[in-house]
Amino acid sequence: MRTTIVIGAGLSGLMGALALAEAGLRPLLLAKGQGATHWTAGTIDVWGADERSPREALQTIITSRPGHPYALIGVHAVEEAITRFRALTEAARYPYVGGLERNVLLPTAAGALRPAALLPVTMAAGDVRLGGEMLIAGFRELRDFYPPFIAANLAAQGIAARGVYLTMPPAFRRREYTTVTFARMFDDPAFRSEIGRQLRAQRGNATRIGLPAVLGLRDPLEVVAHMQNESGAQVFEIPTLPPSVPGIRLFTLFQQAIERAGGRLQIGSEVIRGEGQDRRLTTIWSEAAARQQEHRVERVLLATGGIAGGGIRTDHAGIVRETALDLPVRAPANRADWFAPRFLDPHGHAIYTAGVATDAHLRPLGAADEVIYDNVAVAGAALGGADTVRERSRSGVSLATGWAAGRILAGLVS
Amino acid sequence: MTIIPEDHIEQSLEQSLDHCIKCNICTAACPVSAVTDLFPGPKYVGPQAQRFRHERQSSPDESVDYCSGCRVCNEVCPTGVRIAELNARARARLAAERGIPLRNRLISRSGLIGRLGAGPHAPLANALLGFKPLRLVIERTLGIAREAPLPAFSRYTFRAWFHRRRAPQTTNGASGRQVVYFHGCSANYYEPWIGKAVVAVLEHNGFEVLLPRQRCCGLPLLSNGDFAAARRAHEANVAFLAPYALRNIPIVGASTSCTLTLKEEAPELLGMQSDAVRAVARQTFDIFEFLRTLYERGELRTDFRPIERTLPYHPPCQLRAHRIGRPAIDVLELIPGLRLVETHASCCGIAGTYGLKVEKYRISMDVGAPLFETVRRSGADLALCDSETCRWQISHGAGVAARHPVEILAEAYGLVT
Repeated sequence: MRTTIVIGAGLSGLMGALALAEAGLRPLLLAKGQGATHWTAGTIDVWGADERSPREALQTIITSRPGHPYALIGVHAVEEAITRFRALTEAARYPYVGGLERNVLLPTAAGALRPAALLPVTMAAGDVRLGGEMLIAGFRELRDFYPPFIAANLAAQGIAARGVYLTMPPAFRRREYTTVTFARMFDDPAFRSEIGRQLRAQRGNATRIGLPAVLGLRDPLEVVAHMQNESGAQVFEIPTLPPSVPGIRLFTLFQQAIERAGGRLQIGSEVIRGEGQDRRLTTIWSEAAARQQEHRVERVLLATGGIAGGGIRTDHAGIVRETALDLPVRAPANRADWFAPRFLDPHGHAIYTAGVATDAHLRPLGAADEVIYDNVAVAGAALGGADTVRERSRSGVSLATGWAAGRILAGLVS
Repeated sequence: MTIIPEDHIEQSLEQSLDHCIKCNICTAACPVSAVTDLFPGPKYVGPQAQRFRHERQSSPDESVDYCSGCRVCNEVCPTGVRIAELNARARARLAAERGIPLRNRLISRSGLIGRLGAGPHAPLANALLGFKPLRLVIERTLGIAREAPLPAFSRYTFRAWFHRRRAPQTTNGASGRQVVYFHGCSANYYEPWIGKAVVAVLEHNGFEVLLPRQRCCGLPLLSNGDFAAARRAHEANVAFLAPYALRNIPIVGASTSCTLTLKEEAPELLGMQSDAVRAVARQTFDIFEFLRTLYERGELRTDFRPIERTLPYHPPCQLRAHRIGRPAIDVLELIPGLRLVETHASCCGIAGTYGLKVEKYRISMDVGAPLFETVRRSGADLALCDSETCRWQISHGAGVAARHPVEILAEAYGLVT
């Protein structure tokens, strides 16, 4: 049976499972539900807290902050993860562009600017530094995506932009719409021909057209090419609120690659405890109907996320827990120290650095820096030592540590 | 009027509402709302509409009746909201307020239908149900879709076969190991060969198979909102099965929906939580879950003949709802040459009795379309699936035979069933 277990289906768990599957270890990925892929924008943000390039920031962090996840694994491991990720997405016909040399600034659904190191090529023409006038187009039927609002906020930042609503073709009208409903419609050439015609009519002087990131689930490259042909302008996607279509695409391509390499995913099975002895985790249990499912394990990659993802939980008594294996968590000792007085404090909130401390092999450490389990590696937002939200490094940390943890557990890192 | 007794399960369902962060991952995954406007999706009908449901007020929304109960929403929810249970209870409220149509009362009583149709007169019953003009009349009068896949009754019941046969010697000698087989309605009245395969496989592994009395597990009643009848069914089954469960004798079933009902659906939806109910739940196993556990303990016989085939395998929703992974793949992978390719389609659409209903038949076929397409594209003339109504739907929609994985396992053991 499968004794290599990955816990968590976000970016770190998926990268780790891919590494383990490609090493021939037939991992089983267990997750409580769909992971952070479905919640997040689908870009890889390596570093965005300041003006430095991701590479410059990485090089400083590695010397100045030894407990930071990037410092634990090293720049080389980050680069290796990015290389594998780019090859993976390229092979799935959903290539990512960019790298560590500079961040691209992309418009958000609020018209703010967000730095990203790697982005799906379907978002590439959204780089605000490219210049020229933007047309932001959307649908009244899609909630939380308001083109006039986006355009007005962009214009206020000196980016020429105009926002328009498109008309839903009658044959495609429904009572309810989500991002996924739209993505399925864009998979239909008849729908996108009609939308393309509307865009051409509305285009004016715009050289680029931003649309909500719902441009198909099956073959987004084909959808973007089709829309560009029809509209006569470059077309790009702007991430939406969840469920994130770019995230769903990522999840799907990971799932296929992991399964092709011999791994398996079991979504809907929350790992709730583990047991071991002599620094070896031997058994974990996942929640199931009527009784828990027991898994005998040889190696486990913990990638359950942080406070937002459910891997780290806090309670009113001030206890901070790691939810799957009950590993020791480094967190502010006192509940009063969790938050800074101001919501948008530039230093962030201390509780968001809560997580599991590890050694350079990503093995979990106890209070005296002793290794808890030799056969466990921790990755992603479950790691402590960084406020990845404030650093805008969350997906970068997840990608890199997920891959590194998988390689370490597979014995491929000396 | 309170139709649901106060219980801790109700409280846990109510509390799980607060875990909904409105991310709509469930809506994105829902196979029903993907194909019809009549069901606005799990988030609206579940955690959102639940805020407007109160025991002293009438149900705010009838669309919950279009929930097929597939439980894909529960599977994908990242925060653990128990959407499917909320919907099932809301439907029962609706049924209690407005009454249950005759059609639903009929199709939810699979035990009764089976007793009427199975037996020496089965060919006549099958001919009648295969007679198109009659199906049209049934559709017009009762509302059972005339195209919907109905299984053929068996000329003999599994129980009759079991009691008639000569008790076999277990091949491992007198191990003293016993297991209860919960066959459910389908193996008893429609597909006795599946029951025979289960018995053969268990006996081949040295178990004495016990067959206490049993009734329909009650799942069709639960999914048609007839909680009162479902409670009677489960109480009866607990009375029959608890004496074994309390002696730690496992209860094994090959119908994933029956075993899920004994494990969880009946106790949770009906708020039943006696020691006997819990013992039955804890001792109930899906057949492949049981065999996988044997394998993990080094107790499963692996004297398999090679089967050089690659077959599409659809893990039914009701199996996925056990949250035990893919035990059929885990076990069948041990057979040399055999490769199962998981379909990754979320649901076949039938959802027990859902797709039989004239107003839902089209929805059920649209839900199943991606699965039918996957099965057809595989080029195989046979698909595997653990759940009977799903097999009938796959055969109906994809035009290929569908068998239970335990039949392949029996074949690999060289057991003639």
